[in-house]
Amino acid sequence: MNTNSNKYTIIYTTILVVVVAAVLAIVASVLKPRQTANIELEQMKTIMLAANIGEVDGQPDKTADYKALYEKHITRAYVIDQNGKQLEGVDAFHIDLKTQFNAIKNGGDVTLPVYECALDDGSMVTIFPCYGTGLWGAIWGYISVKEDCTTINGAVFAHASETPGLGGEIAQPWFYNQFDNKVLEVNGQFASVKIVKGGAGSDLNGVDAISGATITSTALQKTIAQWMDYYKGSLELAKAIITLSEGLSNSENAEKDE
Amino acid sequence: MIDYINLFIKSIFVDNMIFAFFLGMCSFLAVSKNVKTAAGLGFAVIFVLAVTLPLNYILFEYLLKPGALQWLSPDFASLDLSFLSYIVYIATIAAFVQIVEMVVEKFAPGLYSSLGIFLPLIAVNCAILGGSLFMEQRGYANVGEAFTFGLGSGIGWFLAIVAMAAIREKLAYSNIPKPLKGLGISYIITGLMGIAFMSFMGIKL
Amino acid sequence: MQKKMNKDIYTKPLFKNNPITVLVLGICSSLAVTVQLKGALVMALSVTLVTAFSSLIISLMRNSIPNRVRIIVQLVVVAMFVILIDQVLKAFSYDTSKMLSVYIGLIITNCIIMGRIEAFALGNRPWPSFVDGAFNGLGYGLVLAIVAFFRELLGSGTLFGFQIIPQTWYIENGGWYSNNGLMILPPMALILLGCVVWVQRSIDKEIEE
Repeated sequence: MNTNSNKYTIIYTTILVVVVAAVLAIVASVLKPRQTANIELEQMKTIMLAANIGEVDGQPDKTADYKALYEKHITRAYVIDQNGKQLEGVDAFHIDLKTQFNAIKNGGDVTLPVYECALDDGSMVTIFPCYGTGLWGAIWGYISVKEDCTTINGAVFAHASETPGLGGEIAQPWFYNQFDNKVLEVNGQFASVKIVKGGAGSDLNGVDAISGATITSTALQKTIAQWMDYYKGSLELAKAIITLSEGLSNSENAEKDE
Repeated sequence: MIDYINLFIKSIFVDNMIFAFFLGMCSFLAVSKNVKTAAGLGFAVIFVLAVTLPLNYILFEYLLKPGALQWLSPDFASLDLSFLSYIVYIATIAAFVQIVEMVVEKFAPGLYSSLGIFLPLIAVNCAILGGSLFMEQRGYANVGEAFTFGLGSGIGWFLAIVAMAAIREKLAYSNIPKPLKGLGISYIITGLMGIAFMSFMGIKL
Repeated sequence: MQKKMNKDIYTKPLFKNNPITVLVLGICSSLAVTVQLKGALVMALSVTLVTAFSSLIISLMRNSIPNRVRIIVQLVVVAMFVILIDQVLKAFSYDTSKMLSVYIGLIITNCIIMGRIEAFALGNRPWPSFVDGAFNGLGYGLVLAIVAFFRELLGSGTLFGFQIIPQTWYIENGGWYSNNGLMILPPMALILLGCVVWVQRSIDKEIEE
């Protein structure tokens, strides 16, 4: 047979492409559920670690079942829009953070996820995501804020392709555990986290930057601030309600005293 | 506009295909023995990267990514063909290279004799496929960004191979330990150049 | 006798004809994954599988491939195996798949694979092609493992993620030692590779340019 004729070449390549595509389509559809489960588990793990759940001495617990923990601790997940208004009927867990990041960058309409999580000691924390670009690629993470709406409970970060040992350290426990108990407030005003080189010093909202990875550190600081801007409104509102109710109960107490 | 210039300069110096990611090393080491051929291959890489990246971007956006086929029919919203991306990218690159080769051979025999011999090499140059894969991973916003990134990466690769060839021409006169001659010293020099290029990393645009 | 000779040919890629240090093939995708030994070994295994099986398939098809679209046909077959590996890693070893990211895809353009297909599989029967591909993959893996061993040990003080350098040696803990951050940066992979070539050529004087 003449293997160099046009007809042969075209038929040959067509058959090859069809066979290859069929094989790949079958494999991909068989493995798809497992892959999706992996990605979801990863996300649940990150959210749990941000709330300091499933950690042993600040390190992720390798034996923990994060899916079970997630289902146990997360009491509610909802989304808010750019005005801080809660939206109904949107699946918070499957919101694509990257799309939201682009919307934030362009000042468009956003739907940002919020998770409410019950800790073992009975207190509630609110968990927010953040997503931005580091030195090489995407960086993202979750931050959990305590009931008082000003103190960070915990945080966790991840990255796509930062340099291992430098920018990549943002995904290491020593770095993200620094965020625990930082205060999102300076002189009574809301303030995002500062990632400062050479030591946070006495700043209540400052954490140590990674030496040698200034760009990643600055990018992370900017990313957190960018997203906090959107959550700030609801945090301040919640705080106002707390202060108000505290004030009410205080005045009630005061009345009783009289 | 400033975004494009930013991306352009970044992809030439900071994200240099050779010194930051070591992509396209095979042909980089094989063809960097003299400046003239190195420049020829460099030009071919610039050209192919600048064309295949926007092409693959369009294919990814409208064919491969999850829900990309929605423009055909809303029924396809949940269809995810991204598992085919590698094969589509490499097929685009190989087909494009083959077409260019045929066109150049037919219409510009002079150019063909100087550039044509490198074209088949390019289809399997990691820098080209790497460009498409990075484009997908970094999620560039539009065709313009994809093109800028392709052009910048190509020029970065061109600079790297020409610089390397110039150094290797000089190396011929150096007194290097015999077992290190040729390949060994080329690896080490590329490494040192990589360290030098890392100084661009702090550039804030 | 025949068998003995074959064995010699096949094992040559491990040292004398090593694809990376002698034939200058397949360096591209390898260096970024040698920061940790685990990544390097997964990469080596993937490349070995892809080289072996695509050599086998191409060798089976060798008499029917139309010459004009030869390269594309080869690339499609190679790409198919790479996608299979990528999909399996994503499903069963998600962490490794994340670590290797785009470099799994870049196996497609790993010159070793195309080089062995062009130089060997197109002119030989399936079984020898398979063995030839596998040994070339192993030769590649060997160099990768050597480079990764030094980079992980000196750069992070660990091997396979386990701490090897005693914690008490570190300056932070009152010792005298600190990890060499340079080892983690990509250029060091090339410099180490240069040293591997140097050592190899000092041992075996026959290897020439």
